[in-house]
Amino acid sequence: MVVKIRLARFGRTNAPFYNIVVAHARTARNSRPLEVLGTYDPIPKRDTYDRSGKLHKDIKLDITRAKYWIGVGAQPTDTVRRLLSLVGIMEPKYRPAAPAPAAAAKEPVKK
Amino acid sequence: MPPRIHSSSCCQSRQLLNYLEAAPPISISASPLALQRLAATSTSSSSQLQCSRSFSTTPVTEARQPTRQRREFLKWINDYKEKFRTQPNNGKTNYISQLVTVSDYQDVYEDQPFPNNPNFRSEPVLSSKARHMIWKDVMREGLPLKAVSAKYQVDMRRVAAVVRMKQIEHYMYKKKMPLARTYHDVIMSMLPRAYLTPGEKPFEPINDIHVHSYTMQQLFVPTAESREFTRADAAKAFGEHILPPDEKMRIPELVEMERNIASGMEPEKAYAIFKETAAQSERAFAEAQKAKAKHQADKTLRVDNGRFEFRFEKVNADDVGRNGRSRTAVGWRYGQPFTDRRRGEVKIPTKVE
Repeated sequence: MVVKIRLARFGRTNAPFYNIVVAHARTARNSRPLEVLGTYDPIPKRDTYDRSGKLHKDIKLDITRAKYWIGVGAQPTDTVRRLLSLVGIMEPKYRPAAPAPAAAAKEPVKK
Repeated sequence: MPPRIHSSSCCQSRQLLNYLEAAPPISISASPLALQRLAATSTSSSSQLQCSRSFSTTPVTEARQPTRQRREFLKWINDYKEKFRTQPNNGKTNYISQLVTVSDYQDVYEDQPFPNNPNFRSEPVLSSKARHMIWKDVMREGLPLKAVSAKYQVDMRRVAAVVRMKQIEHYMYKKKMPLARTYHDVIMSMLPRAYLTPGEKPFEPINDIHVHSYTMQQLFVPTAESREFTRADAAKAFGEHILPPDEKMRIPELVEMERNIASGMEPEKAYAIFKETAAQSERAFAEAQKAKAKHQADKTLRVDNGRFEFRFEKVNADDVGRNGRSRTAVGWRYGQPFTDRRRGEVKIPTKVE
């Protein structure tokens, strides 16, 4: 069975919060996964004393385990792939106009 | 819905209209009593007499008489108005409690702004001179907060707060932002103030310790007569995590200084040692804070995509405990009820960051 890296939605109504999980593809979304790799809080936040108005998103991730699961063939969903590409674990699926700094450090993608 | 005046009872409404016409400076919302009194004073009573039934059955001459209480109140206010109009003396207050010495319940103290509320006592606040002294000692002289706290008998947290507020004030002054000086002066002139001068009574206790509820019980601990039973042993008897009072002190260096003096050291030397150790402990605290912040920064990887900054905190997915349900494990837990659904769970935030 295909092993996927995907998000499991927790949180409340209008307050989503996701676990980044490794699970078999055909199991229910919030069922007990093989492993919880981290969390993803999609609600943008602002630093308490920051007046610039810049927003940030908090993510917790075990990078080593994520690399391992990618290495053994786990398939990330598009959303998870986007997050993993931010830390340079994978190439982004959809190239943004300017490559992310972590991805840019690696060798460019062959066309 | 308020009671309505029916159009059929025309005489009443006409009378009301007459009253309103007779009182041009008073708004429509004036009380019926005021209207009545106005009617009584107005000489044009011919129009009122057109109606056989009037609103009130009280004779007009009785209604215009102010009550005894009001007369007494007016007399009282005339007697004392000058006293309350003048500014209070330096550091004193002009509360009403200097006249009302006995309330409904008990004696009234001078620092009670409301004579019937014995729980509201107006404590002295730091005067602006005192706050400047504290700020100068910390920022100009470079004294440690603990030493300043001991010097003026002001709580360490208050010392820190005063310095922070002063810094903000200086910043606003430098940036030419408007300061509420008049407001400050007026409020300060009304409140009791502490000047932190040498002869003054101590501002507040500075070395109070928190009493843990575990230590409020009566315990019988058998111990050998030959054994020395210290405060640390007593704390351990109450619970493994209970600290002895010596470790709970806010400024333990002060106790050490007194010990040194008691053992024959010169006070100046003991004070110098106190200042040095206090500074050292504060430096260590600052280092620990800095190290904590650095550790947190090292754990976080920041990626900015222009719109948001994504902050990846590195965690260990293996920290899930023996049965995979550890509280410290990353993410929401499986097979556990959510804590916010628990009975008695307090959801009101307890701090502001």
